[in-house]
This record gives sequence, structure tokens and C-alpha cells, in this order.
Amino acid sequence: MKYNLTTRDRLIWPALLFVVIVWVGCVSESDEPILSLYRFEKPSHFPEPTYTFQNNDVNEKGFNLGKMLFFDPSLSRDGSVSCSSCHVQSHAFADTWLHPFSFGVEDREGVRNSPPLFNLAFQTEFFWDGGVTHLDFAPILAIESEIEMDESFENLVHKLNNHTQYPKLFKEAFGVEEITGPYVLHAFSQFMLLMVSADSRYDQFVKGDQNALNQEEIEGLLLFRKHCESCHREPLFTDLSYRNNGVQKTITDLGREAITEVAQDRAKFKVPSLRNIEVTSPYMHNARFEGLLQVLNHYTEGIQEQVNIDPLVFKNGKPTIQLTDPEKEKIIAFLKSLTDDNFINNPIFFNSNE
Amino acid sequence: MKNIKSKLAISIVFLFSSLFFSCQENEDPNSISQGEMIVKFDNYVGNQNMVIDEVGSTNYRYSNANGQEFNLTRFGYYISHVRLEGPNGEVFIDEMNASADAKQIKGYYRVVQGESDTYNIHLKNIPAGQYNKIIFNLGVKEDGIQEGAVGGILDRAAGAWFWNWNSGFINYIIEGHSPASLRDENRLQIHIGGWKNIPSADENPQRFFDNNVEVSLPFDATVMVSETMRPSPHIIMDLLKVIGDTDLAIQNNIHSPAAAVPFVQKLAEAFVVDHTHQ
Repeated sequence: MKYNLTTRDRLIWPALLFVVIVWVGCVSESDEPILSLYRFEKPSHFPEPTYTFQNNDVNEKGFNLGKMLFFDPSLSRDGSVSCSSCHVQSHAFADTWLHPFSFGVEDREGVRNSPPLFNLAFQTEFFWDGGVTHLDFAPILAIESEIEMDESFENLVHKLNNHTQYPKLFKEAFGVEEITGPYVLHAFSQFMLLMVSADSRYDQFVKGDQNALNQEEIEGLLLFRKHCESCHREPLFTDLSYRNNGVQKTITDLGREAITEVAQDRAKFKVPSLRNIEVTSPYMHNARFEGLLQVLNHYTEGIQEQVNIDPLVFKNGKPTIQLTDPEKEKIIAFLKSLTDDNFINNPIFFNSNE
Repeated sequence: MKNIKSKLAISIVFLFSSLFFSCQENEDPNSISQGEMIVKFDNYVGNQNMVIDEVGSTNYRYSNANGQEFNLTRFGYYISHVRLEGPNGEVFIDEMNASADAKQIKGYYRVVQGESDTYNIHLKNIPAGQYNKIIFNLGVKEDGIQEGAVGGILDRAAGAWFWNWNSGFINYIIEGHSPASLRDENRLQIHIGGWKNIPSADENPQRFFDNNVEVSLPFDATVMVSETMRPSPHIIMDLLKVIGDTDLAIQNNIHSPAAAVPFVQKLAEAFVVDHTHQ
């Protein structure tokens, strides 16, 4: 049937289109351009994000405000450390290898290795023990910890309200006359939500570029999938669970037990992502290993019987993972293909404070 | 041509009406008349009025069943999810909303001893009718936490009772001093919180404890809510119902969901509707 555009069609369709546009406009009320550097976009091969974007959508002003806060040492009690002191972009926002445990105010040394920051929109629990259950609340713990910034969140917000620039910037970003806690946390989250790392050579490979990995790396990927995948699950390279991989020779840090209050969680820690692992040495919550070969050696022969030792890595009195030296080399070659140079060099995260 | 004009006119009317309706907020059909209720909370320690003392005070006003003296330097609790029920099937559910904007927060209340403006909970938009029961949640549930950063009485920077290491609110807070406590400054801190439950399965024990408590209180009499009648139930809370049997020499430093469970089991009984003003 040939389709004739009648006069009625000419009138009705534009009218209907207009109605739809008006309706959509009322629902989204967005005046931001759809394509922007400062919009969160889910990588096509990633799961749906879990962050509550409906309460705090990312935009350029909020992102830049979060960035200014992230690099501002005046947030700490004595003005000595900022978030960026222990979360360094060139190390995927982990601390440098010079600081196995980061230093807070008055050079107070931490007790766990500073975790890298990326793909946070896809996580539901934060820190090594997972005690923080929403990204918005993560900065409060670092700010208030006596060995980190040692400042009350209440006083931090008070300082921001008396600052020469922040009140104006919060008004521009959130339309508020007074800075309150949730808007500070929303700004932090906006900055951290855009820390998406999904552009390593591995990612290019799984998205179809067969040349993105060389033969050794592909063999390493296959070995990885056989031996490591059950915990370090693609594409986030973590299953977000808590496990004891035997990294403490004697248990001094209770880990997840401090949060769940059951002995069955003693010495368990969150399975970390392996993305950007090449630049986040040293490894494990206690920073025990400097190199990836040490880590693999731990899994193949280092693990000892211990309370709550994970049966996936230790069973029947011995480590479960068996790897030859060439296999270890291949796995390490593959792990280095997880380095996302575009992420660790992305200029939108550069410090632009004076 | 006439036909086209009329179609055009219809299209335009349709277009503008859709413009109008699409941006208009839904309004209640005004046919249902509504009223208000003020719920008063009055905190006691046994038969004594509750008084907050300065931190460091050694004036011990109260004592428990073990004869252990104590005073209070901070006391209060969160209330949310308020519901009213009536003898003829009337139900009122207080609207809930967690938001960064303090003005948009709905349905969360905090009673803080020493701040008299927090003692009265003002319920609005109650359908006119008879009511004889109030039900509320003592604490802040998952819906006040997992929406992320929230403002007003839930803003940590504005003094909200919030755990930074194990995200969640302290539902019911008791702080003071007791000579029975051998901690520095004879400190007494009982922080009751926790909102998550991961029940036990197979050989696994329960992880986390949801220490929110539903409190259900019948009124002493049925009251009438209407546009002109604003009744006021008067609720009395007795702290000795919660810590009256507690050995303050041992239980003086409670800061986690599991440790708070023995107290939680007594919380609901601490509240009673003393009387109602019609």
C-alpha cells in the first residue's frame, strides 16, 4: 500500500510531536546538552550502575566543585592533607608506592592501603571492609578519621560556608543559599562518579578489537579466566564479595567482622578490582606485596591454613591454584593490559585549584 | 477547507490542553476534608522528668534498679513512618521523602531532649475521621539511608546521629555519666542503631541487625480529626524501661548493631500513650 500524506496527517503528526516534546520536557526538565564531557555514561559492556543518579545527576558545575574539594587541603583539620594526597590520578587514584599506608594529618600513618578510585558508580559498598553503603557517605569517613583528615564533617561545612569562593560555587551548582552537608557529599560523588575506567586494551579486545592484546596477553586472559575469574569477575574484575585470602600471617585486622559482627567474617576483605593493577602497588589491604609476581606466588604457595580461609584459594591443606612460571608471566602480562591510560591521564581530573 | 480548519482548531485545542495538563501538578480532589494532629512526646526517667546536664556533670539525678546512679548529657531518638488507624478502618500514612533539600524532607522526626520544639510532631493532611491508634517506626530505615546524602535532621554536618564507619543512623541515643562506669570521665554511651538484616542461612549466622522498632500505641480514647478539631495524643517515654535493669558497670559503651540488640527488645515498651486531648 502506498502511503499518502493527507492534510490531516500533516496537522496531526506535528501536533502529536509537539505534545510529546512538551511532555518529555516537563518530565526531565533538563537544559543540559545531552552530549557532554561531564555526563555519566555507562560503558556498553558494564552492568547497570547502582548509584542513585535520580537524586544527584552529574553536571559540569557539580563535578568541578567536587574536584575543587577533592584537591583542597583546607578541608583537613590542620590544612595539611587533601583527598588527593592519598588518591593520586597517575596511580588510578590509589596512593603512590612510596606510601604503603597513607599519611594523614600530623603524618599519622594509616592502617590499610589506600584503595584506588574508579567505577564507583557500580559498587554498593565502600572501603576494604564495606562498612559504607553509599558512595555519598564515603568522604565522611575519610574526613573524620583521626588518622586521615581528622576534621568533623560539621566543622568542614562550617569552614566552607565562611570561604571566599565556595558559597558562590555551591549556589551555582545546586541553587542553595547555604552550604549543607548533603550538597558537599553530592559534589564529591559527582567528581568520583565520572572516574570510569573502561578503556584499557582488555576493554578494546572484548569489544571486538582482536589486535588489542598480543598472543601472550590472550593466553594470560584465558589462564586468568580459569584461575582467578571466580572472585575477580569481569568486567569489574571483582565479584564485590568479602574473602580471606590469607594475606595476614597473623590476624590483627578483623576486616569485615568489624562491620557484620560475626566471627565467620574475621579477616575477610573486599575483593579488589584488578583494573589498573599495574599502577596501584603495593597490593592487599596490608600492602604486603610490592609486585604482581609476589601476589601470584602467594596464591600458589604462600597461603597457609587460617580461620575463614577462602576455599577457592586454599582447600585440603594446600593452595588450590597451581601455576607454572611461564603461566604466571602470561597472567601478569594480561593484568598489565588492564591499565587504562586514558583514565589515568584524563585532563578532566587534573587539579585546577590555584 | 472548513473541515481542515476545524481539524486545525481541534489540534490547537488539544495541543494547548496537553501543554496545560502535562505541566500541571496533580491535585487532591478537594472533596475529602482534612485535619491535623499534634503528637506530644514527654521523656521520663522512671517517675522523674528528664533533664539534660552539661557534659562532665557529676550531679547524678537518676538511678537504675541496680542502684547505679547516672545522669544524661544527650538523649533523643528518630521517628519515621508514622501511621494512624481508626475504629472504622480509617488509615492515615504520613508521607515520607528523603532529600538533600532540608525543606523537601518529609516524615522524619527527631526528638531531642532539651530542645522543646522537637517534642511535638505535627501531622498534617489527615483525612477527617476517628482515630484510636498510632504506629510509628523508632529509627531510620533503609529508605532514609540508601537514597544517599540527605539534609535537615538527617544531615551529619547539622548534628545528625550518623555512623561514618558503618553507614546508618543512631536510632536512639543515650549519653551521660555514671560512677558505675569505669571509663574515662565515667562515660556512659549507648548508641542504638542498625538497619540491615542478612538473615542466617545454612550454617551462616545472622549478619547485621535491623534495630528499627515498630511502636504501636492504642489511644486511651477515640479522637476525632476534622478541619476544626485537632486532637493531641500525649506519649510518655520512660528511659528506665530500657536501661533500668542494665549493669552500667559493663554495658556503658554500646556502638554497634549487634551490641544494641538487648536494648532494642525493650524499646517498644518504653512508650505509652498517657492521655489524649481532643
